[in-house]
Amino acid sequence: MVEDDPATAKIIQVRLEMEGLKVLVAGNGMEALDVLQREKVDLISTDLMMPAMNGFRLVQEVRDLPPPKGRIPILLLSSNHSEQDMVRCLAAGADDYMAKPISVQVMVERLWRLFERSHRAG
Amino acid sequence: MVVGVIMQYLKDRRNRYRIARYQAWEGQLTDYLFKRGYERDGFGQVAWSDRWLFRDFLARYQSTIAGQESELLRELYLSMGIHTSLPGRLQDRDPKIRAQAAKEIAVFRLDEPAEHAPPPVTERPWRWKPGVRMEGYLDQVLPLLDDPVPFVAHTAALTLTRSRSLKYAEPVLAWVMREELYQRERLLRVLEGFGPTLLPWMKENLESPNQNPEPWILYALLAGSHRHRESLPRLLWLLEVPNVDLRASVLKALIILADPAVYPKVRSFASSPAWEIRTQVARALGVLGGPSAVPDLLPLMADPVYEVRRNAAQSLVDLGHSGVSALTWLANDPAADRFARDIARERLEWADERGHM
Repeated sequence: MVEDDPATAKIIQVRLEMEGLKVLVAGNGMEALDVLQREKVDLISTDLMMPAMNGFRLVQEVRDLPPPKGRIPILLLSSNHSEQDMVRCLAAGADDYMAKPISVQVMVERLWRLFERSHRAG
Repeated sequence: MVVGVIMQYLKDRRNRYRIARYQAWEGQLTDYLFKRGYERDGFGQVAWSDRWLFRDFLARYQSTIAGQESELLRELYLSMGIHTSLPGRLQDRDPKIRAQAAKEIAVFRLDEPAEHAPPPVTERPWRWKPGVRMEGYLDQVLPLLDDPVPFVAHTAALTLTRSRSLKYAEPVLAWVMREELYQRERLLRVLEGFGPTLLPWMKENLESPNQNPEPWILYALLAGSHRHRESLPRLLWLLEVPNVDLRASVLKALIILADPAVYPKVRSFASSPAWEIRTQVARALGVLGGPSAVPDLLPLMADPVYEVRRNAAQSLVDLGHSGVSALTWLANDPAADRFARDIARERLEWADERGHM
């Protein structure tokens, strides 16, 4: 989970851990790429506006990685929910998009669906 | 120097205390939201002296959390009695405090009418029932529309529109109209908060567009952003008003609504003396007419204004094979208008670079 606001990160992390998921938290895109180098990751949830490297750049960087890492499903969260932003997110290679404020329950469901779809696709 | 040292010491001590409280509350909050939210005193006690600190702590979650968790946050906020300080804070000398108070009224939905209340998650008779109505908070936000600090007025407007109560449509619209024309489109996002019900209200309550066309520009742009098809007859009627900005805004809305039936009406503006209108027509023809718009777009490729030529060429690119064929022919025709030939080449290169060919 890539989120620059520790308060939000904590809440989402706890909820996802209740689902039995192991959650690795990064504060921005650069840290996330570091984590990706070291760990095996199944899903990425990333905020859009972050210091050092924003969500768009992170999505592009991840998509440039060789498979399987380049194909990790990505959910983008943004507090600026203009239609243009949504289109940009999806065009950059994100698999799904949620506008803040978010329901953590809905986010969990979306992450599970992404996870299932990526596993069915192999 | 001694005073400075003492002040710094006190500041550090306050900060350390705040960090310690926040860390403790973060753990309590996740327990409350996901495990103990339905129990009496599910969050635990917060000392009276820590209430202001707790208010700032809760504010961190305002713009992030929605759904059932936000309902629980709202209950927590109300059960702490933090809202009782709102009237005073709305008049505080510090603009950040005024804006924060206005934001809390929106986020925690004070003044929420009972008919909009979500059903109770579970029966908790000792708690605030979700959707409980507390009169008068939004009325106290109203004066902040005239606040000398722009971000306070903006936050107040957002709070009033989020209520979706058309009782506040007139003052918020008046606030938007006080802004410069170029700022108003940016403030559409604020008006969108009222939802599509604002459009019928505007139709009923605005002055005639012949007398005062400016609010109708917002009407047209809102009709587009809401994709409000019911506004189509009114938009076509507005097209008759001889005002350049209004016509250009109506054409923008018609592009979004994309109803091919209005094509002949839009085409009649292709020879308008105003370049702003021709610029929109050049986009609209391609969207509304499809491949059959090619013959109407070609004359606009030789328009004296660059923006019109560029939009016409872009429309042709967007049409796919038929449009690209016309552009290619134009780009290679030595008898064609020089400006038309140049813009055709430029757009073809642009499309080629992006793999649109």
